[in-house]
Amino acid sequence: MARATGHPPNLHERKVNVMNSGSAKLQRTVFIASFIVPTLLFFSVFTIYPTIKALYFSFFDWSGMSQTKDFIGFDNYIEMFKDPIIWRAIGNDYFLVLGKIIGIMALATFFAVALTRFNFKLAGFFRSIFFIPNVISVVVIGVLWNFIYNPQIGFLNSFLSLFTKDQVTITWLGFADHTIWMLLPPAIWAGIGFYMLLLIAAIQNIPESYYEAASLEGSGQWRQFWTITLPLIWEQMKVSILNIMMTTLNGSFVIVWIMTEGGPDNSTQVMGTYLYQMAFRQYHFGFASAIGVLILVLSLLTTVVLQRLMRQETVELG
Amino acid sequence: MNQGIKNPIAKIIFLAILLLWSVSVIYPLIWTLLDSLKDNQQFFFNKPWALPNFPLLWENYSYVWEKYHFDKYFVNSLLVTGGATLLGLLLAAMTAYVLARFKFKGSGAIYGLYISSMMVPFILALIPLFFLLNSLHLTNTKIGLILVYTSSVLAFGIFVLVGFFKGLPKELEEAANIDGAGYYGTFFRVMLPLSQPGLIAVGIINVLNIWNEYIVGTVLVSDPEQYTLPIEIGVMQAEMQYRTEWGPLFAALMFTIVPVLILYIIFQRQIASGITAGAVK
Repeated sequence: MARATGHPPNLHERKVNVMNSGSAKLQRTVFIASFIVPTLLFFSVFTIYPTIKALYFSFFDWSGMSQTKDFIGFDNYIEMFKDPIIWRAIGNDYFLVLGKIIGIMALATFFAVALTRFNFKLAGFFRSIFFIPNVISVVVIGVLWNFIYNPQIGFLNSFLSLFTKDQVTITWLGFADHTIWMLLPPAIWAGIGFYMLLLIAAIQNIPESYYEAASLEGSGQWRQFWTITLPLIWEQMKVSILNIMMTTLNGSFVIVWIMTEGGPDNSTQVMGTYLYQMAFRQYHFGFASAIGVLILVLSLLTTVVLQRLMRQETVELG
Repeated sequence: MNQGIKNPIAKIIFLAILLLWSVSVIYPLIWTLLDSLKDNQQFFFNKPWALPNFPLLWENYSYVWEKYHFDKYFVNSLLVTGGATLLGLLLAAMTAYVLARFKFKGSGAIYGLYISSMMVPFILALIPLFFLLNSLHLTNTKIGLILVYTSSVLAFGIFVLVGFFKGLPKELEEAANIDGAGYYGTFFRVMLPLSQPGLIAVGIINVLNIWNEYIVGTVLVSDPEQYTLPIEIGVMQAEMQYRTEWGPLFAALMFTIVPVLILYIIFQRQIASGITAGAVK
């Protein structure tokens, strides 16, 4: 096998080397191509192409059969914005985004600080435990929480019944209006560990000397949290908030589908479940694709808006 | 020395909250185990937190394994997860290595393509994917699932592994090159073994994600022969409205949870390092 690089050639090798450098270059190109192209091809076929194709589908009225695929321009979008369910779904999505950002960030930050700044002997143990919900399938989490909310045999009603004369039989997932609130606890419970780990890593990057100096100046723990910890992990918190927003808009489907299927009466519908229902239950593939495009557009828009809202002088570590 | 927080009262309050949250995480797992050993009678007449009666109904597990065909779903999940993880890891590592070490025309654009794809919701691609796989006759096949899952983990893998390869010292490759290893030899015999920690971190995270994945599976697979565990859990839970078999349902959950819990216990540190590596932008 020819060498890619070699020692400085002596005179009579030089001629061979000139020829070699041509073939060395070719070898390099072949190597690069052979490592880039298969992956890229794969990615193009199974990710890029379907993504672009979805934009295309969204301009058609299409029930899945090739003979009935009619180009209708923006009609799917117009129809979509006239559909009250889509507005409800958007509202629910942003309700979950907001609720999860507040709930997850508050608890994850609290746990991250508690596990790094308190010298608990069990800090490592708690950290391992708190991450467990993140390794469990959301499907499983949905089933478990369904059981908590189960009207006849669930935990919540049985627990409440301890304090009442009659058996409590609230259908927690059956309210006409506020059932979406019931989906927030499982979503927060399942999300905390991941963001806690990120924030722990960020806090551990803060030099201990900052805290020592602050202590010498007599500032208390609470003050140190606001003046040192928070500003220095703000960058990581921003990333986390954006990530919560994106994963919620893209991925609320599973928890909602398992727990309520968007019901009762579409009241817990999110964009993801509505897309799924429109496509694979009612075969409005064009309309459903338009919902997918809506999810993309909203998630990009929200990223921009959040980034502007959260813009603040970032503190660089020295 | 860590200054830490020394106020004993604050410490006790914090500790109490931490303990409370630990219970809220662990208790559902314990009750899943306990409830997987009950029959319907106990579900309807005892409190949900009651311990199961003796004899414990371990036969719920064999019942689910045989009557609900979890033997099949378990193997399906193993094959799909294993196949997609290995293929995804190989494809991502190859591209990541070249992007980290070689400058060439378009390298920045290719890296940018993978990274920006992480901003695009996967659910958008779902409908065209279904029709694409349908036309390739790959719906209701494990191969189809493996292909889609592989593609879905590429961007994350490339992102983390580019960082990892950049962190490895260049001298090692130069030495390998001088020894006449060639590009391929250098990659497969020197760089891949050296990047084992990064590969394991990415691989384990991919295993967790693929093992737990529901939406792609439920869209691409409607033939019960090809179900993976999460697909069947979803179906089973929907059926619970008509036939109530709570004990077996919890046994089914255990089949899904226990493998990932074991993986988590073994690879905790690698998972944590993979996650933090993936989050630093």
